Amino acid sequence: MIFFFSLCMTLCLSAFPFPASFANFLPSWALLFAVWWGLMRSYQLSMVALLIASLAFDVMYATALGLHGLLFAFVTYILAIIGPSIRQVNWVRQSAFVFVVLLMVSSISYWARNLTGAQAEFNTLALQVVITSLFWTPTRMFFDLIARISASTPGDR
Amino acid sequence: MRPLFAETSVVAVRLIIAATFAVATMFVDVRLESLTVVRQVIKTALWPIESVARFPQMAFEGLGHWFISHERLADRLKTLALENERLRTEQLKLHTLRAENTELRRLLTVQDSVLERFLHAQIERFSNDPFIHRATLNRGIIAGVEVGHPVISADGLVGQIVETYPHASEVLLMTDSTHHLPVQMTRTRFRAIAIGVGRMDRLELRNLPDTADIIPGDMLETSGLGGRFKLGIPVARVNKIIRSPGQPFARVIATPLSALSRLNLVMVDLSGGTAK
Repeated sequence: MIFFFSLCMTLCLSAFPFPASFANFLPSWALLFAVWWGLMRSYQLSMVALLIASLAFDVMYATALGLHGLLFAFVTYILAIIGPSIRQVNWVRQSAFVFVVLLMVSSISYWARNLTGAQAEFNTLALQVVITSLFWTPTRMFFDLIARISASTPGDR
Repeated sequence: MRPLFAETSVVAVRLIIAATFAVATMFVDVRLESLTVVRQVIKTALWPIESVARFPQMAFEGLGHWFISHERLADRLKTLALENERLRTEQLKLHTLRAENTELRRLLTVQDSVLERFLHAQIERFSNDPFIHRATLNRGIIAGVEVGHPVISADGLVGQIVETYPHASEVLLMTDSTHHLPVQMTRTRFRAIAIGVGRMDRLELRNLPDTADIIPGDMLETSGLGGRFKLGIPVARVNKIIRSPGQPFARVIATPLSALSRLNLVMVDLSGGTAK
């Protein structure tokens, strides 16, 4: 239930009709979703569910099907290894760790996008990583709230 | 040591399986282009979420219309009435020209190629990905939209339909880095390929002969080559010509005539070519 709610909220944010000129300055909501699940709820995370969810993000962002799945796989892998050590640190350090993780994942994104024909610019991706990292703390608080609300519903007990 | 090693191995195996699945999906989607149905099913399933996401914008626009002042409405009405008069006069001229054209074609026993069917559509949203210049339209398969239909605005070409869903469709804007458009100069009929570079305000013509007769301000229109776009749709205006000394080729920077990032209403040319 928490997965479903958080997925719906992230998809809503991804589908929000921002002006076209904002595209360079928007965070990657999909990666924030993956980071939260990889970092905070990895013990509940199903890779199959995450891969299915990634297809929805591919359709929403009009990227090649599978691109977000690849990024999600790497995010969850990296966070499964280093996650326990950064879960309890303060929000500034955590955002810095998230920045490093997202930068690594963006390199994969850059490679995959250029391989599939889109001419991605690394500078734009790096800017998106910075903005996404800045959004990490509010997103974490928001998803924690969703998790608390979902956990209090009878169906999730 | 053992449990830690075993746990890491499990995670690594999961990564390998997931990454293989993702790369295989990307290959099938991009190279074989055989996941259109999957995309359509997912898009249809996401339709309620997209509607919810659009709701704040629609509510805001509705409120804006509600509170618009009487004077502004009267001004707008006056402007539209004048514009309507001008367009009606233009249309009269067009009718005469079209009749002449049909008569000449009949005399020359050439098949009439002017069979235009336009469908008005509204842009619901642009892709939020910085490297993908696509827009979602509120008309889809049910309204008769097909892949390959050209999309134009009042100012010129916008792009072409690349994905269709029952209630929506996706336009690949001509500025997308994967879009290549056969164009010609209106003044000289010199032909070239306009390439999107991933910026909404820019098209490029590359590898042109250094001696090509192009000057800033020249208009670009579709050349009709390839059969997808009809001849003569306005595309862009030449902004800058970059000629490097000692190089045999020149590069031309052009600005699209349609303000792509601010578009709201467009028209889908249902009679447009679907040839690849």
